[in-house]
Amino acid sequence: MKTGKTFGVAAIVVVLLACFPFGVSGYILGLLTLAFYFAVFAMSWDLLFGFAGEVNFGPSFLIGVGAYTAGLLNHYAGFPIWACVIIGALASVIAGLLLAIPALRLRGPYFGLVTLVAVLLLQNVIVLFAGITGGEIGLDLPDVLSIDDSNNYWIALAFMSISGALLFGLSRSAVGLILQASGQDAMQASALGFNVTKHKLAAFCVSALFSGLAGAMLIFYEGTASVGTVVDIAVGVQVIIAAVLGGRRTILGAALGAVFLIVAGELLRPLGELSTFVVSAVALVVILFFPGGFLGTLLHTGDR
Amino acid sequence: MESLQILIDGFAISSLYALGAMGFTLIFGVSGVLNLSHGAIMVTAAVIAWAMASSLGVGPYLGAAAGVLAAVITSFATYLLVVRPIQTSRRIAREEKEIFVLTGTLLWGIMLQEAIAYLFTSNPKTVLPLIPGVISILGVRTPMQEVLTAVLSWMVIGLLWLLVNRTRAGKVLLAASINPRGLTILGFELSTIYLYVWGLYGLLAGIAGVLLGSFLGVSSDNVGQLTASAFSIVVLGGLGSVSGSLLGAYVVGYLETITAYLISPSIRTVPVLLLLVLVVYLRPQGLLGRR
Amino acid sequence: MGDLLEVSGLTKRFGGLVAVKNMHFSIAPGEILGLIGPNGSGKSTVMKLIMGIERPNAGSVRIDGVEVAGWPSHKIARQGVGIVFQHSRPLHRQTVLENIKLALLPDSLLQLFAASHIDDRAREIAARVHLDHVINRLPGTLPFADLRRLELARAIARNPKVVLVDEPFAGLTSGEVADFSNLIASFRAEGHAVLLVDHNVKGVAALVDRVLAMYLGEYVAEGSAESVMQNETVRQVYLGGKIETAARRDVAAADRKTLLSVTDASVFYGKAQALENVSLTVGAGEFVSVVGLNGAGKTTLFNAISGLVPTTGTVSFDGATLAGRTPAQIARAGIVQCPETRELFGDMSVRENLDLGGQHLSPPDASRQLEWLLDLFPILKSRATQAARTLSGGEQQMLAIARSLMMKPRLLILDEPTLGLAPVILEQLSKALEVLRQTTDITVLLGEQNVTFALPHADRVYVLEHGHFIWEGTPERFAVEAGAQFL
Repeated sequence: MKTGKTFGVAAIVVVLLACFPFGVSGYILGLLTLAFYFAVFAMSWDLLFGFAGEVNFGPSFLIGVGAYTAGLLNHYAGFPIWACVIIGALASVIAGLLLAIPALRLRGPYFGLVTLVAVLLLQNVIVLFAGITGGEIGLDLPDVLSIDDSNNYWIALAFMSISGALLFGLSRSAVGLILQASGQDAMQASALGFNVTKHKLAAFCVSALFSGLAGAMLIFYEGTASVGTVVDIAVGVQVIIAAVLGGRRTILGAALGAVFLIVAGELLRPLGELSTFVVSAVALVVILFFPGGFLGTLLHTGDR
Repeated sequence: MESLQILIDGFAISSLYALGAMGFTLIFGVSGVLNLSHGAIMVTAAVIAWAMASSLGVGPYLGAAAGVLAAVITSFATYLLVVRPIQTSRRIAREEKEIFVLTGTLLWGIMLQEAIAYLFTSNPKTVLPLIPGVISILGVRTPMQEVLTAVLSWMVIGLLWLLVNRTRAGKVLLAASINPRGLTILGFELSTIYLYVWGLYGLLAGIAGVLLGSFLGVSSDNVGQLTASAFSIVVLGGLGSVSGSLLGAYVVGYLETITAYLISPSIRTVPVLLLLVLVVYLRPQGLLGRR
Repeated sequence: MGDLLEVSGLTKRFGGLVAVKNMHFSIAPGEILGLIGPNGSGKSTVMKLIMGIERPNAGSVRIDGVEVAGWPSHKIARQGVGIVFQHSRPLHRQTVLENIKLALLPDSLLQLFAASHIDDRAREIAARVHLDHVINRLPGTLPFADLRRLELARAIARNPKVVLVDEPFAGLTSGEVADFSNLIASFRAEGHAVLLVDHNVKGVAALVDRVLAMYLGEYVAEGSAESVMQNETVRQVYLGGKIETAARRDVAAADRKTLLSVTDASVFYGKAQALENVSLTVGAGEFVSVVGLNGAGKTTLFNAISGLVPTTGTVSFDGATLAGRTPAQIARAGIVQCPETRELFGDMSVRENLDLGGQHLSPPDASRQLEWLLDLFPILKSRATQAARTLSGGEQQMLAIARSLMMKPRLLILDEPTLGLAPVILEQLSKALEVLRQTTDITVLLGEQNVTFALPHADRVYVLEHGHFIWEGTPERFAVEAGAQFL
């Protein structure tokens, strides 16, 4: 689908979503708010994987760094929300660079491993210094974004829409084209005159920036920063599943996948523990039979 | 006395880890798969063994056998339902197959974990020991089951070594990990070989799981950590090197035990993770790895 | 104006193997140089060294006077070098136009929108390579020749001073070859320098100004196409010297029962046709040589027979079709292939490699076979406990053949056994093959570029070129009819 048309359709969807608070219950609004933040997690992941070709098995590392930096600054230094969020996002970028620079030298499964280990380390460190970080219980935050459901919803929707527009626009831009080439065939991209390492690092930074931003915003929505919502491996796995379900390399598909996952998880809550089972099973089936995901299968039926 | 305790406990847990890790490495070397549902298969074995032995009352031996059988079945299921369909799928580009297999086994592992939690709750279970009682080793009171764990693990490791190095079937396995194409042109059906390997893997993971269950107890919550341990051991020792896994298992096992005793059990995986990061950056092929 | 590409003293080692040694040549503006060599000669490595994909251990590469040896490839590309790889690798989700535009983009992190002149320029280039009618199509929908055109378009997009082309005509029909030749010639006409890398002088002779022949990483000869083809050393390394035939067992061809029969086999790799309606027969006890240069399709033919690649047409063995059988089944049925790549188990010992070959035999049978083979190849006996990868090239080849023979094949397929081996080893191999013929009733199908090696033992010869047979007959007639134009 042409870029212009996509933006048009997406804009209509956003306007429709913006009308929800005028009739939909607070419970559903809360669910969707969470889903919107998740959508940004998933879209950032897709930029890195779908475009730069790098598999990040621990997206919650970048999310967690951003979230906890923001949270700790707010809790101990009393910085206002906007400052914490910005600094949190920057911390995430730095963490992303620290991870990426040596990791890009590694091939194959080793890179994925390093990203996985980073998450485990972060989790352990947070639990270790529970006195400062609040450990598994979480860190209480004096400030929150808003108490009103509708306001939170609109903030999240706006954030997702802007992030989505930026990320999607990037993917369709000239730089996005170079990123795709770098991810698909690094040797060929170099032979065409592109510094692949530079571009992949940049992709890492962008992915980290948005992940960190979203992570920081999320904790100010929830009012606490806890390992379970922003660092745990399970969070990372959900992000990956969302992006793959929605369709790799579509950016917008990742958003769809995230909303689907959160909503489906909620709908299946009456099943108790089986809800995760069902979601994972569905994701597995999608991987096996529809590797292009929802959007991927829908749009790219022609080419490989 | 504490150092002796550490020595003994560390030895037992390392032997156990070694068993599981060797299976993990075998699958990687021959089938090319990093099986992220490894922990789930081990826990399945332990939980089935417990369920059979305690709830259904068939006794510890039959229970253990049932547990191992369950692991073998689960292993085959992993290969036939998840791994092979992805590897042979025409809809997935060749460069992406590895990632899809990783994600697929990850999802499968989660499914198994949740199924276990649902059917048996996530409370820790301790498999009935095969040999009850306690023995005193140099003044340290050690459960007989722990001794059995170490002895049994080493017996199986020994048998595995004999299999790989002394039997014709073992030579075929070794050849498969070096050059599968070479075997095809010599008239060996790779598809049959893969089935055997996954079956063998199920056996190894199952025995390790049952032993772990009786030694330390397991619950569905352990799944992730067990896979992470196996992963760490195999990377440390060198992906694809069976003897490397053995060495790596002892490094990890002792590092964890020492940390648990001297600092705190809750952060026993941290030094291992740090070591892993160092290894991946400084010597990615591991201690004994080839490529 | 000075030379656009100057290479001198270029050397590259991979571990202990010297892939390129002291390579030197230069290309002036408006010149096309053909770099020729068989597999393993190092020609592809030279190309990669110029492009910066590999770093040279020593030597210099100058692009229009600027020293670029050791630079990363994206810098060398920006300095004015374009490369067309052997295999087409377009971005599958982008149209032809977008693929070409990519080649025109600057290496900038901040460029969101491509400058407007890029679109115009991209269309210009597309028109030049005759892709203007498919400019909005996705690569997946294009025929093979158009994909190659796209690769050429991307390589010349920024008007590089030097263009490197790897196997320019592989997979193209003769009509497409002519078209492509014209495109490359037009580039020369604009004053650029072109380096064509290929196996086959004949294929590029019409297009190039000069030819440089390489063998085992070293410079062998340079000059006009004809003079290089006549050069003694070149003929020696490619053909193995004078064409001679030796005495063979006399069994009339008509008396032989047909063991292997291939009818109308065609093989496609993606869109490229590697084999075109090929038919051959091999009688029981016969020794058939398929002669052809690298890239002619010998390996594809053998892989089709062994079931390793899918093929149309029929392949029958001993009267029954092989369709539907797995490669392992075909090997067990008696067709054993010793591939060009040998496929040894490097970390396992010589003895273990041989034992694996004998796994399907009964133990007494296997040990008898082993003993016989160790007599046939005494060098293997002395190296029995050594790891296969520590053996020299010739020893590895002998091991590979011996391992295949352990299976007691009825039909042994040998793919380029002499590649990269020294003459003294060739003699040993030749003797071993002679013994094999005299003492057993084995049937052999040999694929070789080295005609001197292939002819002496053969009962019949086929000549394969560009995926189809162009000649068939006895070795004597070959010397008379086909030998002269072979190179």
